[in-house]
Amino acid sequence: MSLVSLPFYIFMCVLLLLYYRVRQKDQWKVLLLAGLFFYVWSDPFMIIFLLISVFATWKLMLNPVKSHFIWVLVINLGILIAFKYSVNLGVKDLAAPLGISYYTFMTIGYAHDCYDKKIEPQRDLFRYALFVSFFPQMTQGPIGVYQEMMPQLEEYHGFDPDNIKKGAYRILIGIFKKMVIAGRVAYYIDTVYSDPEGFPGLTLIIATFFYLIELYADFSGYMDIVCGISKMMGINLKENFKRPYLSKNIPEYWTRWHISLNEWYKTHLFMPCVTSGFNRNFAKGLAKVFRKAKKGTLRLILPTIIVWITTGIWHGARLSYLGWGVYFAIVMLLSFTTQSYVKKLNEKIHWNKDNVFVKVFQVVRTFVIVGIGEVIFRSESFSDAVAIFRKIVTDTRINASSIAQAMTPFGNGNQAAASVLILSVLILAQLIIEIAKERDEKAFTGHRYIYALAMMVTIVLFGVSGASNFMYQTF
Amino acid sequence: MTMKKTVLTIVAAFALICAAVAFKNAYSCEMPIKNRGIRDAINAGDLKTVFLGSSTFRANIDMPMMDEAYDGKVYDISYGGNELVATVIQYEEIRKRSDHEYGLFVFELGPMMLTQDVSLSDSRVIWDLSWEGKRELWKRMKESGNTDASMMYEYFVTSGMDDLITFPVTEPFYSTRYYKGAKTDETVSPGKDVLENEKFDISREEYVDAQIRAVSDIIKACRGDGQDFIFVESPCYHRLQEDEKYKECRERYLAILKENDAPFILAQDVSFDSGNAEYFEDMNHMSAKGRKEYTKELIRVLKEREDH
Repeated sequence: MSLVSLPFYIFMCVLLLLYYRVRQKDQWKVLLLAGLFFYVWSDPFMIIFLLISVFATWKLMLNPVKSHFIWVLVINLGILIAFKYSVNLGVKDLAAPLGISYYTFMTIGYAHDCYDKKIEPQRDLFRYALFVSFFPQMTQGPIGVYQEMMPQLEEYHGFDPDNIKKGAYRILIGIFKKMVIAGRVAYYIDTVYSDPEGFPGLTLIIATFFYLIELYADFSGYMDIVCGISKMMGINLKENFKRPYLSKNIPEYWTRWHISLNEWYKTHLFMPCVTSGFNRNFAKGLAKVFRKAKKGTLRLILPTIIVWITTGIWHGARLSYLGWGVYFAIVMLLSFTTQSYVKKLNEKIHWNKDNVFVKVFQVVRTFVIVGIGEVIFRSESFSDAVAIFRKIVTDTRINASSIAQAMTPFGNGNQAAASVLILSVLILAQLIIEIAKERDEKAFTGHRYIYALAMMVTIVLFGVSGASNFMYQTF
Repeated sequence: MTMKKTVLTIVAAFALICAAVAFKNAYSCEMPIKNRGIRDAINAGDLKTVFLGSSTFRANIDMPMMDEAYDGKVYDISYGGNELVATVIQYEEIRKRSDHEYGLFVFELGPMMLTQDVSLSDSRVIWDLSWEGKRELWKRMKESGNTDASMMYEYFVTSGMDDLITFPVTEPFYSTRYYKGAKTDETVSPGKDVLENEKFDISREEYVDAQIRAVSDIIKACRGDGQDFIFVESPCYHRLQEDEKYKECRERYLAILKENDAPFILAQDVSFDSGNAEYFEDMNHMSAKGRKEYTKELIRVLKEREDH
């Protein structure tokens, strides 16, 4: 059931009616049933794997000893790997259960926290099932943290018109991003990336720029919708994006993009790796080679490589995903290891970090570095990515003919100019809002009725109606 | 108060949407579009020859040469991927909205048009048709089973909306690209290698009954109006023209024309080298060079017919 479809909003209306009509003690049960109903509607057969994961994890973690924690990892990662990498394992390509990556991470996070004694295991199977199957976040995140989510899910929420309004406004923003912005650029990107050799460098640069816009509009649009839905039920989900494209460097970017996944990695993989004995020995080995390097920096190298390679292959069994992970591992390592040199250099050339031009330069530089990574990510194959880079470097010209060629993926000549104009206005508007909000979080919070009106009209008249699947749903 | 504001916002949004949709559907055909489309053709007054077809006509007709041959009384109405069912509706729309005299209507003898789905192939069709025309085309699409709720939404709401909202900015740009409906771009051939290696596969194309009926409908409509008409096949690049399926479709098209005793000009009736890669931009559309060469010959054949 798509989050931008009419059946979903009918489902939501019925759910809200029930949610606020039932007895206080039964409210959480409505959410649990809604989650299971949502899952069965979307992916009826695959619910079996969700139920296996829920039951096994809950049962094993009632007694959170090491062997049980290992079993949780084996069961959950086993199902995940079997579905996501079946083709690579020589088995037939299996369609992965809806949201498997996300609920697996939530489950492992819960088990790890139980094992680390950070939380008390949940004694009630159904309450634990609600944590995993809370439907707004189940298919595409944000990856919920048990100690933050469970109290909210169990708590009774009385009807508050303010929550409904705020939630509806947030949903509107999400639908706008998804249907109007992401939906519009998708066709251009698909056309160009399906045959990268057939287009000149300028078109490939524009397609890559659009892809970055699409990724953000699609994914953050989804988050806006799920945060809005949850808000309507009085539940505050964790924000997953914080204007990532305004980051001044790559480490900052990764604290603003897909925040819940990166925090999950930090807590459950990066930090355990950093403190492990193996990593300490590895860092000691490196210290013998790089004598001038700081010990702290050397201890980050192996965990960084592990985290980024894991993040890459988490997206799926493709060489380009692995390449993307390796690329960001290298960028992050360069960022850590050159930090002190860059600092010294900045002092020498009197680099003023507060200067607006310096800030713009840093933001553009970060955007370009991210863009290079996303070319690898989006390409159908690694050789396609290489071809794209080669064409961008050797075949980029800015003249009337290349500009005319760059417009062809918009469709026939008659629609291209209008599409370009509308897209430019939309992207510019989004950029202005993000910059304003970066300076002042309260910007654009007044006159909400006017913005809501403008968004409603734009969605209906200029939205792409067929754009119902979200990109990260497939991961 | 806030509840009142919320309701007002929803009502205002609904009203604005309805106004835009109503305007697009009822008045788009009256928009002052220059150098192309039904409205501009009607405003051109009495015409000796009117071409009505797809982008093939748009790319393959050199309008300044036609202008010279027909004393400026010629027009080319074309839409991307235009198919025969839509052509019938477009013809009827012109006759209904215009009191002018038209010497000859030239329809496209595109063999592969018989295999096209009845659909909205170009949002310009939506712009050019009146409300009745739009409804008629939708009805025909529905009869062919090519509609669903999403398509209906696209057809009546979103299609052409981009052009409507950006009209003041984009129209001056668009209008420079056409002259009396034909292309003015100096397109060039991508070269023999590209054309010889371009992949296409039409072997699985199937006839669409509605399109077959539409050929007879065009003939019937013209005869009903006492309108002189002719079907003209534009030459394609030789690889397409020699394709077995293409030839089969042409035979089928010709059979309908012969059955109805309708006049036609085939690609082979015009002296034109369809094997010359310099003459083509792609399999279907001519380059500026090919367009000039073909138009010269087509004028000669049309004039010969006129003399007879």
